[in-house]
Amino acid sequence: MIAGIYTLVILGGISYTMERTLNDYHLTVVEFLGIYVILAVSLALTNSFTGLFSLGHPAFMAIGAYISAILTFPPIRKAIMMPALPHFLANMQLPFCLAVIIGGVIAALSAFIIGFPVLRLRGHYLAVATIGFMIIVQVLITNMNSLTRGPLGINGIYPYTDIWWVYIWVVVTVYTVWRVLNSRFGRAMLAIREDEIAAESLGISLTYFKLFPLVLGAFFAGVAGGLWAHLVTAITPSSFSLPLAFLLVVMLVIGGKSITGAIIGALLIGIVSELLRPLEMATQMYGLTQIVTAIGLLAILIKKPGGIAGSKEINLVSLYKSLKVLR
Amino acid sequence: MRRVLVVGFVLVSMLLVFGGFGYAGGVIKIGALYNLTGEMSSIDAPALNGVKLAAKEVNEKGGVLGKKIRIIAIDTKTNQKECATAARQLLSEGVVAGIGYGDTTYVLAAAPLFQKKHVPFITSGATLPELPKMIGNYMFLVPFGDNVQAYAMADFLYKDLHVRRVIIWTNKATDYTLALSKYFKERFTKLTGKKSILLEDFFQTGDKDYSAQIARVKALKPQPDALFISSIPDDIGIIVKQVREAGIKQPIAGGDGYDTPLLVKVPGPKLANDIYYTTHQAWDNPDPVVQNFIKNYKRMFGHEPENAFAALGYDALMLVVRAIKRAGSDNPAAIRDALAKEKGYHGVAGTISYKNGSRVPQKAVAIMKVEQGKIKFVKMVMPNM
Repeated sequence: MIAGIYTLVILGGISYTMERTLNDYHLTVVEFLGIYVILAVSLALTNSFTGLFSLGHPAFMAIGAYISAILTFPPIRKAIMMPALPHFLANMQLPFCLAVIIGGVIAALSAFIIGFPVLRLRGHYLAVATIGFMIIVQVLITNMNSLTRGPLGINGIYPYTDIWWVYIWVVVTVYTVWRVLNSRFGRAMLAIREDEIAAESLGISLTYFKLFPLVLGAFFAGVAGGLWAHLVTAITPSSFSLPLAFLLVVMLVIGGKSITGAIIGALLIGIVSELLRPLEMATQMYGLTQIVTAIGLLAILIKKPGGIAGSKEINLVSLYKSLKVLR
Repeated sequence: MRRVLVVGFVLVSMLLVFGGFGYAGGVIKIGALYNLTGEMSSIDAPALNGVKLAAKEVNEKGGVLGKKIRIIAIDTKTNQKECATAARQLLSEGVVAGIGYGDTTYVLAAAPLFQKKHVPFITSGATLPELPKMIGNYMFLVPFGDNVQAYAMADFLYKDLHVRRVIIWTNKATDYTLALSKYFKERFTKLTGKKSILLEDFFQTGDKDYSAQIARVKALKPQPDALFISSIPDDIGIIVKQVREAGIKQPIAGGDGYDTPLLVKVPGPKLANDIYYTTHQAWDNPDPVVQNFIKNYKRMFGHEPENAFAALGYDALMLVVRAIKRAGSDNPAAIRDALAKEKGYHGVAGTISYKNGSRVPQKAVAIMKVEQGKIKFVKMVMPNM
């Protein structure tokens, strides 16, 4: 408990210092890192802890992003840009926080709808079904012109996302996933990952405990989508597609099968491309970042096939004890 | 592990050293945002080359206001997230203007940030005419808007080819194609009346079979005089091939999406016949500005300009340089005001003036014709708006 409060305060202090000292660009990079952490940790629920290979995160993000963007959009501009909105939506303008949560909830609902039939099957059906779902979401957004502005996407979204919103949602995500993992639910998920038949024989409902992490992960993906939309300020159907899904999977692979691993993976992937950018600009060798990232990925896979953190977690209590801040 | 650390350390220190160069005095920093990797790279990489060529020419003549131009170019990887971060990076480095992109999608992610900081952003290739209205008074277009090229084609079909009845096919998956068809229809019905559009049909990016649309055209009585097909570069080759194979012989017309080698390569020189399209510049235009550009481009990059976007990139930087000269200052707001007063820059891709407060140039459109696989320059058309 005390360790948790310490961490909150330290992270808050870091955020405050960054808000005060960093320029707009570096602050944006930090905010994207936070969003990556939310995405990676929530994807770890299915992909790392339950052994389900989901590629659906971009679809859930797209749902969260579009819903929250429509909800926070000023009604005057909605009338011009999205004429087919139902009346109650057209005149509504919600606070950012609420819009993001609603986006997350609707993303979670959609995960429930596709997860329910698919997760009763055994095998790799989820990967295929989530790719399919992503395509359906994209096609729908592309063709519902009068609601979503089609391929042009929504632009001019107010940049509500700041470092504090990202900080809050990172804390909420990591805390929730950590609590889930160390509960009855988490142990059931891990049991399913290790051996489905053994888990079922112990009375674990496979469908329920597979559906739960997918839906919870989709909620946080929807939230991350909302934060993303209000940071980039423009979204199109192609903003959330397969390359992003693979990027998230890569984060989990290089990080390892733990919350710590997911965070490390997200930070590494996010930082490396920004760090290499000045080099790319100076040498005029565009494409360098992608090559270096790929080589680094291969090196990690060869040296540490389980990911950098493996399945270990950082124990905050013993960390503080060793630093002598806590007795 | 230690070796990895060493390599990492070397990379980071290199980046710090290289990054340090930017802070030398006596330079004017201009940002260039382009998608140099990913799907947009075939359009954006030539555009950046054009920007670089222009910067080199300006610097060789002693720069502007006694300072050298320094282009800070960032690859945004055909990804809106990268656009938003890269734009912020440029702005925090203190660029006085931004240039970029051949497509509206990416402009929409980057340009509002420039607008917010009151730094002008000039798109070298995005053709959506509403862009300045959507983004604000710091947004400028170098190319003509889609309305201008669609009007030019409508005028040309009506006056030069004496077309009175057309059918329109539209790719409904991209904003560019939808806008092009909308403006073409608007102009053509104004010229000839509502009944002149015999049929409107739709397709999607990546469609491989057009037999249904072709059958509907063949069933028409009377037959159309021409087909206006609004397509992006990826699909137009296949469309031309199937239309001509089905025995439809009428002229095919379209916008600058046709400006791709695929137009002739896919159907072959026999079927690629009687096609008209609008574009930004014709390389066989004898204008010395155009020919000099081709010569210098070849000298700098070892090959001829890949497409018109190279010329547009060149023009974009030259416009900024002219504005700095006229303003007598490299203050972003002063540059914006000077840019808005641009009257008659004779560029590689046409003459650019911003009239009546519009930040989309009124400029002539090049009409090209494909005849037995050979692309010929027909004429420049300047539609009355």
